[in-house]
Amino acid sequence: MRTQGAILFSTIIAGLALGITVTNIGFGDYAELNRMFTFQDLRMLLAFGGAVVIIAITFAVLGVRRTPGRIHAGVVPGAVLFGTGWAISGGCPAIPIIQVASGYLPAIVTIVGVAVGILLCSWANSRYFNLDRGSCEM
Amino acid sequence: MSNYWPWWAGALALAFVTINFTLTTDRSFGVSSAWDRVLHWRRERNLDRQQEEVVDERVLVHALATATAQQFGTPGVAPESPTAEVQPSTQAVRQSTPRRSPLVTQAALLLSIFIGGLIAAVTAGRFELRLDMGAAFSQIVTDNPTAMIGTLFVGGVLVGFGTRLAGGCSSGHGLHGCGRLYPVSLVATAVFFGTAVVVSLLLWKVI
Repeated sequence: MRTQGAILFSTIIAGLALGITVTNIGFGDYAELNRMFTFQDLRMLLAFGGAVVIIAITFAVLGVRRTPGRIHAGVVPGAVLFGTGWAISGGCPAIPIIQVASGYLPAIVTIVGVAVGILLCSWANSRYFNLDRGSCEM
Repeated sequence: MSNYWPWWAGALALAFVTINFTLTTDRSFGVSSAWDRVLHWRRERNLDRQQEEVVDERVLVHALATATAQQFGTPGVAPESPTAEVQPSTQAVRQSTPRRSPLVTQAALLLSIFIGGLIAAVTAGRFELRLDMGAAFSQIVTDNPTAMIGTLFVGGVLVGFGTRLAGGCSSGHGLHGCGRLYPVSLVATAVFFGTAVVVSLLLWKVI
């Protein structure tokens, strides 16, 4: 039985660990990020890819059940927009948080942008696209 | 530069965070959905209220039934006890939305990422309040402060809009989804990473 308190505790541990890890890998550093995306430095790419491989092997060994994800109409256009935004601002939804925590004050603007983008998406979706976003909870 | 963690340490730590979170909470790990839920706090609050109302309604119906039964002396009509009635209904509500954790948990995730980042930056001696995004950003993207603010805002909007449209970001699709070999996450990660590579190459080489 997982109580709400236990989940809150696990979440806080995960958040702290993620913040520490992502900062120490260097994801908040635009120089490192651009070198990763242009393949000048494979360190961060290997960290990310290595993590995925370890997670995949662990889940396979533990037999964590797979639920089929549906590739809905929003996945590809959404990912294109996200990739563009990440490359030009250096931020994914977590990165501007740790950038501000490292002292990069302009990243507050990125956070505001992310918030506006998220609200804009749900507004546009309910009004125009009417996509069943399916994997909303991911 | 070299004081960042080597790749294998980063890989182990990222994997540990994701695996530990998934196994201890039985929930998908994702930062963009935490943002989504916190920003839609009004919708979340209404959902919570609806859950409570369902329970309240059952209690009310039971109370009325008991009162009626007492007044007309037909004890068989009233349900056994309120808890027996209420318990299954709350359970049913919870089961219908197994991945919902309370709003405060989502807010705590975002806040603890900030605190974790602060701890890491301070202990590594990298913390420095500054009004730019670093030399590389000035060099590769723009060194004009107004253009920088504009770029960050537009980039942020694209990130927020894109991640919600795609249903996940680098943690939800990239780490958690790819680790579980979800086809949708593999496609999303390939596309957002590929796009970021193309845009970064354009920024680096052309502009």
